[in-house]
Amino acid sequence: MIGQNQWFILVVAIFVVSLVSVGSYYLTRVRKATNATWESLLARLVEVDRDNIAIIAADNDFDIEKSRISSMIGGLAGLEALEANCDVLIDLACHVQNYYPEAVVIAEDLRLKAREVKWHLGRIKGISNTDNLQANFGDYARHAISVYYRMTQSVLALYERSDLPELTELRRAI
Amino acid sequence: MQIAGLDNLLWAGGLIGHIVLLCVLFGRRRARRFPVFTALIGVNVLRSLVLYCTLRLGTPYEYFYTYWSLAIVDVGMQLAVVYELASQVFRPLGTWAKDVQNSLLLLILFSVLVAVALTLLAAPPAHDWRQIVVIRGSFFSATLMSELFVGMIALSTTVGLPWKSYTARISQGLGIYSIVCILVEASHSYFGSAAGTALALSLTRLRMFIYIACIGFWVVMLWRNETVAEPLPDDVRLRLALLRSELARDLPGIRAWRRW
Repeated sequence: MIGQNQWFILVVAIFVVSLVSVGSYYLTRVRKATNATWESLLARLVEVDRDNIAIIAADNDFDIEKSRISSMIGGLAGLEALEANCDVLIDLACHVQNYYPEAVVIAEDLRLKAREVKWHLGRIKGISNTDNLQANFGDYARHAISVYYRMTQSVLALYERSDLPELTELRRAI
Repeated sequence: MQIAGLDNLLWAGGLIGHIVLLCVLFGRRRARRFPVFTALIGVNVLRSLVLYCTLRLGTPYEYFYTYWSLAIVDVGMQLAVVYELASQVFRPLGTWAKDVQNSLLLLILFSVLVAVALTLLAAPPAHDWRQIVVIRGSFFSATLMSELFVGMIALSTTVGLPWKSYTARISQGLGIYSIVCILVEASHSYFGSAAGTALALSLTRLRMFIYIACIGFWVVMLWRNETVAEPLPDDVRLRLALLRSELARDLPGIRAWRRW
């Protein structure tokens, strides 16, 4: 029979192990983020169907049928890739804050907005399995893709300025 | 009341370490950036001296109340240091970042609840109510502090807010010390902490040894220069401004999706 004190020690042991694990995991992430270079961050961008994204982003007259948009971006997997790339944008903002404190205002604004876009993409993902919203998926996704396209265009331009050989691959990826 | 050679050494080590750290904080001009942390170290120097005098000249009763009164001040100041460090991370523009306000409140609430629950689970084998309060109080503060430090690191990483070098080092030192304190206080709670017992003494010595190691870590880290900030290249500045304006233009449209 386990007494209260034995339970206490067991719970504290589990608690401390969890605390150390969570702390170590995030400290490793902090260290990686601190040591990351501009290039290594950009290299984390996930490959998406850039041609289709460009077509959807340019569709100002809403010629593309809503139902086609989902398949053009690869459905939920496509949205997840866009979400992952938003994470890269957040990390880029973090990198700028860390190494270029004079740009903290711009970087913080960028970070907040990239987080908001990511939050909305998460919402679309979350509600896309309901019947009502399945029909509206195209509308929501169209907005998200337009924003994403413009954001990545800027990132590509930044990469282009740094004149790196990986540019061709990057263009294909995002 | 007598103190043994090793305890004398640990006490002196702690006092000298605190004085050296204070010299580094003022000499390297870190005190202006971390006023509360500097005050905590200053209070610890005074605390060591007051406790030494009380131990030599006072009664055990006086020592007990002086020790625990100053321990409460120490915990209060440590919480103030948590606030100081959090404000350096989560207030990049001088005000609390909008996207972390709720998360920070949740973190504090959750940390307090977990610390209370764990403290209530403890059943220290002591008969004197003062000992029970001391054991539970020490365990509660150690648990709360370690949760707050780990939670702050997790939250800042998730939202993409960077830790400046010195802020990170002070947090790491306090976080590691708090986790060690949980283990020490949990042992006190399990085995009892009757003054003078070999185990209680060993645990207290272990805690003091780890703390002196943390002081050494802070001395070295705060002495070193922080990574020098680079000037932002003009093209990067231009592109960031462009990206920012594009996002500002697009966000109202995205926010309209919230209609559902």
